[in-house]
Amino acid sequence: MPAGRRSAIIPPVGAHILIVEDDERIRLSLQLVLEDEGNVVDLAESAEQGLDVLARRPADVVLVDLMLPGMDGFELCRRLRASSDVPILILTARSDSHDVVAGLEAGADDYVVKPAVPKELSARVRALLRRATRPDHGPSGPVFGDIEVLPDAGTVKVGGRDVALTKTEFKLLCELAQNPGRLLTREALLDRVWGYGYFGDGRLVDVHIRRLRTKVEGDPTNPRHIVTVRGLGYKLEP
Amino acid sequence: MKAAGRSRRISLRTRVTVAFAVGALILSAGLATLTYGLARSYLVRQRETSGLRQTYANARLVRSVLASANPDIPQLLSSVRLPSRSTPVLRLGETWFGASVAVGRETLPPALRETVAGGVAARQRIELGGRPQLAVGIPLPAVDGAYFEVFQLVELDRTLSILLNSSIAAALVTTVAGATIGWWASRRVLSPLAAVSSAAAAVASGRFDVRLEESGDPELSRMAASFNQMTEALLTRIRRDARFASDVSHELRSPLTTLAAALDVMDSRRDEMPGRARTGLDLLSAEIGRFERLVENLLEISRIDAGVEELVLDDVVLGQFVVEAVRTSADPAAPVEHEPGAGETVVRADKRRLERVVANLVDNGRRHGGGVVRVVVERDGPWAGFAVEDAGPGVADDARDRVFDRFFRGRAAGMRGDGEGSGLGLSLVHEHVGLHEGQVWVEDRPGGGARFVVRLPVAP
Repeated sequence: MPAGRRSAIIPPVGAHILIVEDDERIRLSLQLVLEDEGNVVDLAESAEQGLDVLARRPADVVLVDLMLPGMDGFELCRRLRASSDVPILILTARSDSHDVVAGLEAGADDYVVKPAVPKELSARVRALLRRATRPDHGPSGPVFGDIEVLPDAGTVKVGGRDVALTKTEFKLLCELAQNPGRLLTREALLDRVWGYGYFGDGRLVDVHIRRLRTKVEGDPTNPRHIVTVRGLGYKLEP
Repeated sequence: MKAAGRSRRISLRTRVTVAFAVGALILSAGLATLTYGLARSYLVRQRETSGLRQTYANARLVRSVLASANPDIPQLLSSVRLPSRSTPVLRLGETWFGASVAVGRETLPPALRETVAGGVAARQRIELGGRPQLAVGIPLPAVDGAYFEVFQLVELDRTLSILLNSSIAAALVTTVAGATIGWWASRRVLSPLAAVSSAAAAVASGRFDVRLEESGDPELSRMAASFNQMTEALLTRIRRDARFASDVSHELRSPLTTLAAALDVMDSRRDEMPGRARTGLDLLSAEIGRFERLVENLLEISRIDAGVEELVLDDVVLGQFVVEAVRTSADPAAPVEHEPGAGETVVRADKRRLERVVANLVDNGRRHGGGVVRVVVERDGPWAGFAVEDAGPGVADDARDRVFDRFFRGRAAGMRGDGEGSGLGLSLVHEHVGLHEGQVWVEDRPGGGARFVVRLPVAP
C-alpha cells in the first residue's frame, strides 16, 4: 500500500481544473492532491459560483459534485454542455445508483465515487486531459453513409454539416471508425477511450454511444451506423 | 398438561373433522332410533288391532255355530281359519280344540288363558318355534269356553328389521357426510392460516417483502392487516439499523479521504524526509489503508443489509473474467486453470462485485491459507463458477458455515502473521454471491488446504 501511494507526478503540468463541491473538506483535499500534481485549481462551493468562475477563466477539466445546494450537478452539466465541450468529471456518492447514468446523460465524460481515493481521482483527471489535448491520428476522412469523420481536424460532418461532439464522443467515434464493421467490446472501448482496464463500468460506453447516436444518426432509436452487438459491444457499419 | 400435549399432537383439522363426524353420528342415530321406535309401535299396534278385530269377528261366528245343535267343531275351526295367517284354538269347558297340531292349549301362555277364563279379552306376544306370534283370546261365557287365535308376526318382523337396517345405514351415511363436511369446512377455515404460516416462514427466512392479502372476510382481513403491520415494522427497524451502520461508515469516509489526500501529498515528498519520519509515514500509510478497507467493507455490507444495493448486471465470460480479476488481486501471479469448456461459460454478473469476490477469496488464501495454490474455473450443469485453492491448514468442519460470519475469528486467528484483515472479507463474499443468487462454500482440497467454491447460475 505505501508503495502504491507513491504516485509519480505525470504531465500534463499546469492544467486548469475547476472543482465544484460544497463539502469544504473534500474540496480542500481534492485541491491539495491536484495542485500537488502541478495543476492550477479553482474552487467553487455551488453551481452558480462555478459558472461565474468559468466565465472569468475557462477550465481544462471541471469536477462536479452531483449533490449541490441550489442548482444541482446535473443541471450544471447540462448548462456547461450547451455551450462547451470541456471534459466533465462527476463526483457521486454511490456507483450503483441511477445518479451515475443520469449524470452521464447530462453530459459528463466520466465519474468517480466519492469520497475518492486521491490516486484514482488524479488518474481520471489525467485521462480526461490526455483525451482533450492529444489529437487522434486515424485514417483521414472515413465516410459512413452521411457521416464523415475527419480525425486530423477533430471534427465530424453529418450530411455535410459540422456536428459538435465532445472530446469523449469524438474519440469513441474514431475508435469505431478505425475498425469499420468489426465488433469492439465494451471492455476494449473502455480501455481505448477512457483508459480503464477490464473492470471499467460498461454504462460509460452505453450512455456515450446513446448520446453519439442522437448527434450522428438520422433515427437514433433505430441506428443504421452505430450498431449494438447484444451483450458484447458495438460496431460501426458503413 | 398431558391432555393439552395430546390434543396439540392431533391436528386442529383432524379434531374438527372428528367433531363433525361425532355430531352427525349422535344426531342421525337419535333420529333413526326415534323413527324406528315410532314406526315399530305404530305397526305393532296396527297389527294387534287388526288381529283383535278379526278374532272378535271369528269369535262371534264360533259362538253362533256353537249355539246350534250338534256343531261339527273341526269343520267349524277350519272354516274360521280364513282371512289372515292365523290359527284358531277353541276351549269348551275343559276340552281344547285346535285346527293345527302345532297350535293348541300348550301354545297359549297360562297367564293369557287365566285372564280369558276370568271373562276378559286379552292379547299377548309369544314365541312359537322361534317365531314371533300374537295370541288373542276372547271369552265365550255363553258356552263356557273361550276362543283364541294365534297370529304369525313374521311379516311384521321382517318389515321392522328392514326399517332398522335402513335406519342404521342412513345414520352411517350421515356420519360419513358429516365427517366430509367437517374436513372440507376445516380446510376452508384453515386455508388463510396456511397462508399466514407460509408468509411467516418467508419472513423468518429474511424475505420482508411478503404481504398478506387484506380483502375478503372482515375478520381474516383484520388478521392480515396486523400481520402486514408487523412485517412492515420489522422491515423499518431492520432498515433503520442498517442505515445507521451505513451512515456511520459514510461519515467515517469523509475524514478518511482528507487523511488519505494529506498522506498522498506527504508520500510524494517521502524522499525528502529523514528516516524516522519516513518510518512514521509508512506506519500511518499502512494503518490508513487498513482503516479504508474496513470502512469500505462495512459500508458495503450495511448497504446490502439495508437492501439498497442495485446490481449492475452484464454478460460476463467467466474464464476471461477470472483471469482479469486474479491479475488485479493481491496475488496477481496465482495460476488460473480452466476446466474443459468452463472458460467460455457466460454468467450474468455485476463485474465490480464479482471482482471483489475473487479479490477477497485470493486475499483470504494469501493471509490465512499460506498462499493461493491455484484458481480453477469450473462448470457444473446449470452452475458455473470458480474455486480458490490454498495450501493452508484448511477449515475445521464445525467452522465451515461460521467462516462466512462477520468478524469470525477461526482457530487460525492466533497464527496470523498480520492483522490487516477486516474480518468482513468472507462475509462480503457470501453477501455478493447471494445477491447473484449463487452459492459459496468451503471444502477440503485434495492433498490438504482449503477450497473456497463459488457457484453462479449460468446465463440462459
